[in-house]
Amino acid sequence: MEVVYPGHVKLTDKEKTNICYLSFPDSNSGCMGDTQFHFRIRRCPGRRSVVQAHTDYNKDCPAALQSVVLLSKLPFVTLYNYIVSVIAPEYFDNGEPCLEAACHDIDQWPDPCPGETLNLPIMGTVVQVRLPSRSDKVLTSPQIKNPSVPTMPANNILPSVSEVDVYSAFLPVLPHIQMLWELVLIGEPLVVMANSPTICSGTVQALVSTIWPFKYCMDFRPYFTIHDSEFREYTTKTQAPPAVILGVTNPFFAKTLQHWPHVLRIGELAVSSPKTINKLKKVGTIKTLDSKPGYPDKEASGGSECNALKRYLLELTQSFMIPLERYVASLMPLQRNISPHKGPPRLKSFDTEAFLKTIEHSGPQLTSGLKGDWIALYRRFFRSGNFEGWLRFRQEEVNQKLQALHLEVLCQADLLTWIQDKQEVEIVDLILRLREKLAKINENQLPVSNDMLSRLQHHHDMIVCSLPEDLQSVLKSNHGN
Amino acid sequence: MGLMKSHFGSHIGLSWKINNEGADIVSSDFPALTMASGPYNYSYIFKYIIIGDMGVGKSCLLHQFTEKKFMADCPHTIGVEFGTRIIEVSGQKIKLQIWDTAGQERFRAVTRSYYRGAAGALMVYDITRRSTYNHLSSWLTDARNLTNPNTVIFLIGNKCDLEAQRDVTYEEAKQFADENGLMFLECSAKTGENVEEAFLDTARKIYQNIQDGSLDLNAAESGVQHKPSTPRSALSTDQTQNKEGCSC
Repeated sequence: MEVVYPGHVKLTDKEKTNICYLSFPDSNSGCMGDTQFHFRIRRCPGRRSVVQAHTDYNKDCPAALQSVVLLSKLPFVTLYNYIVSVIAPEYFDNGEPCLEAACHDIDQWPDPCPGETLNLPIMGTVVQVRLPSRSDKVLTSPQIKNPSVPTMPANNILPSVSEVDVYSAFLPVLPHIQMLWELVLIGEPLVVMANSPTICSGTVQALVSTIWPFKYCMDFRPYFTIHDSEFREYTTKTQAPPAVILGVTNPFFAKTLQHWPHVLRIGELAVSSPKTINKLKKVGTIKTLDSKPGYPDKEASGGSECNALKRYLLELTQSFMIPLERYVASLMPLQRNISPHKGPPRLKSFDTEAFLKTIEHSGPQLTSGLKGDWIALYRRFFRSGNFEGWLRFRQEEVNQKLQALHLEVLCQADLLTWIQDKQEVEIVDLILRLREKLAKINENQLPVSNDMLSRLQHHHDMIVCSLPEDLQSVLKSNHGN
Repeated sequence: MGLMKSHFGSHIGLSWKINNEGADIVSSDFPALTMASGPYNYSYIFKYIIIGDMGVGKSCLLHQFTEKKFMADCPHTIGVEFGTRIIEVSGQKIKLQIWDTAGQERFRAVTRSYYRGAAGALMVYDITRRSTYNHLSSWLTDARNLTNPNTVIFLIGNKCDLEAQRDVTYEEAKQFADENGLMFLECSAKTGENVEEAFLDTARKIYQNIQDGSLDLNAAESGVQHKPSTPRSALSTDQTQNKEGCSC
């Protein structure tokens, strides 16, 4: 590794080795000229998240193979690919100073905030991007609308920070798109074999995006090499293949991963003659839904083919997701069960069998024309990390909402009357619970208004003041020291 | 005696399953998926106090018990710090409300309210510093004078991981405990050894006193206010709200 910017960044030796190997071709085959792609690595213990890297290497002169790698924890694939495409040629021409300049520019970038439009200076130009937000409408073209952002002349407007061109990525395998969607949804091990890192990383990224708005919750490696520190772990034959999606270029993997149930091969000339070169190998009968031929339905598409494909995938995912969401809604406690003198109510547990009963009469077959064994698909989904991740997220979200509702009720309750016939120890218990709530609000773990916060604080103070003086002074000495 | 049937205790009879009250903060109970709507899931609150000389490790014992972690470089406690944890004794959920008091001499004058209504007192000395052991009789006098006769007093010899520096033998302290009718254990807040046992044994003893009637929840002068124990259904909480004129 020649240089690392900024200098204070510490990478472990293992991380460095991984990055070095991943930044270059994994085999002698195929790559010509500049190549751009991205990969993900596992951070060493204690630094848990996975890092995305975006690489551009210059192969004009094989003896002087050089790579520019951008590392980030954020999944903004499109943005970073663009940034690397700006920085790398400059670096290959002018060397180190331009990395320093680029890092200086990046230092000026504002913190990312969902829904905001950011103007990001980089190497003399300004990139304008809008960060996605959960409240975004599905499938509208991104709107840059935030007049409060100081206007800077933006030379480049990126339509999205992370959306990949699914149509180009899947063009060679379009007939299999529905099966691929199923495999990703239920978290099956899947390897994409391609001739270049660009193709395999793009395809893997496109695969994990097919189940949006579900988040793909298992590991995926857009580009994976035989030198990767997880190579043994992921290719072991002594255990079932791990639930990961790998993108590879080295032909060696064809042998190493021959025991994998799903292999997607994408040939270099695929675009021109997809049928002959691309194939999806599958073992057993994974596919549970019957597919309609001829996806995407081009006639139905109002816009481009890419949008048609996106809409097709989204509708498929939503057909699958809506019954789940409807069932979760039925697990909500009743408003009248929220009492200031009880703990906040919680979402009832997700009972997979009870859920499967509900889909007999209102399942995805209503919103999707697809026939097939939806129940089997749900069962496989329940065993996957995607379900676990989705459910945990929904539970957290709902429980946070319930806590906020509970707080509201607590704020409205007449606690001073309530404590009149209560013992000191129980009043102290109430005070401690109020303090716990206040602390949580102050740590921004609960979404409540300032008004509510001050009312809660007022409640707390009034209760403390109603206590015997010696206890008051004890509680006051304790609070806020 | 500040031990009481919690206002909501009677709910517990219905089979609500909740891991513990703190679960709603960390949401860590996934993937057990046994969430239910939650009343306060404890039927009693026991007030504990922790007393003893400065530096014997009172705050560390509390931290080890509530967080299961050793707190190195613990700052001096000023006034009082609170810790809570819900435990189970004989199938009953009990919330411990633990008052960690300042060991410094200058705070001793203002500690009356610490003792008031305590169901349990953990009296701590440091096995490597004899002076902290020698002061026990004065702490015990305070505890006896300022609490109810039924308050369970548990003697803890802390820092038993520092065997090489031991300054008070187990036997000597055991004898002191026996002579004064105290429960006794040597613990280590650092390794966690016997810490759970000390807090839980105290609770078991208090609960046993309730069960065998020696601790009378109805005795007004004991400071124990017995809560009306008419069974409440989920509906009756609504009535409670209405009675309170809560206009929500």
